[in-house]
Amino acid sequence: MSERIELTAPLDGDFGAVVRLIVGGISARVDLGFEEMDDLQLAIERLHAEAGGQERLTLDFDLSPGRVRVRLGPLLERGLADALQRGPVAGALTLKGVLDTLVDSYGVEEAADGRLFIRIVKLVNA
Amino acid sequence: MDRELLRRLHEEGDATARERLVARHLPLVRSLARRYAGRGEALEDIEQVGAIGLLKAIDRFELGRGVSLATFATPTVVGEIKRHFRDKGWAIRVPRALQELNARMSAGIDRLTSRLGRSPTVAEIALELKSTPEEVLEALEVGTAYTTLSLSGGPGGEEEADPLESLGEEDEEFARSEDRAALAPAMSRLPARERDILRMRFEEGLPQTQIAERVGLSQMHVSRLIRKALVAMRDDLA
Repeated sequence: MSERIELTAPLDGDFGAVVRLIVGGISARVDLGFEEMDDLQLAIERLHAEAGGQERLTLDFDLSPGRVRVRLGPLLERGLADALQRGPVAGALTLKGVLDTLVDSYGVEEAADGRLFIRIVKLVNA
Repeated sequence: MDRELLRRLHEEGDATARERLVARHLPLVRSLARRYAGRGEALEDIEQVGAIGLLKAIDRFELGRGVSLATFATPTVVGEIKRHFRDKGWAIRVPRALQELNARMSAGIDRLTSRLGRSPTVAEIALELKSTPEEVLEALEVGTAYTTLSLSGGPGGEEEADPLESLGEEDEEFARSEDRAALAPAMSRLPARERDILRMRFEEGLPQTQIAERVGLSQMHVSRLIRKALVAMRDDLA
């Protein structure tokens, strides 16, 4: 059975801990391991940090047995989405490289009205 | 033995004598560090801070003193540890029970990982530590908040990064986008251990458990260092 949780949070640093706790709680409900939970928390933290140009972001969690899918947005600028589509840079640690390691899949979604979202998926015991 | 090594260090500048003195007195540092365990800071971190105090004591020791190095070093090591806690203390009042649970968490996670052959779930950690999943999450968060706070460091602190050169007249949005693409310049300013851990995690793709084995730290400590390094790199670029 699939469950959905939607959270809109300010990107102010003080609320980072709140978001992390909620992501932890959600991860526990789908039995992600400690390391997988930590990966998901870190991935969301990084995306939050990179979207720092805007005031708030909505996280839409879709929970199914064996996986968590999170949709973050809407993004007010294209920079973050572009950075995820850019190829590897030799010898550099890129945001794309960070997400490649931390989550099982990710991508940029463009809604019909032109709004941009980032989708990440974390699998249980991948 | 200590006095001979101290003589060789102070009169002949023999660096190997310092190394041997450090090795001989690390058990003292560990013993002192353990007194400060359970306050939300990883024991490995406290030991490292204590080792800095030991080095200072070795270098400041005067051969004419009528005390042993252990006696002389103890207040310096303790002072260094206390200063560490004072400078990087908890930003908010954290219940002692949560601090203690956080301190027990690291060993508990490593124990479970070894027993299960995989990363334990929050429910399993809670069972192991006779706690609840909510308390485990809160205690983890307490540790994360503490570590993030410690990043701010004071002026001249060892974790302070050099400011980036000005981005000049570049278009701001373009510059931000480029920064997102490559955190490399900031990476070079990280401490060597954190750089190595980031490389192992993001270039070699090693899981935290394997990195922990390689570098001789707990998985939780590796997790904190990864988070801390990424935040530091981001702050460096900001």
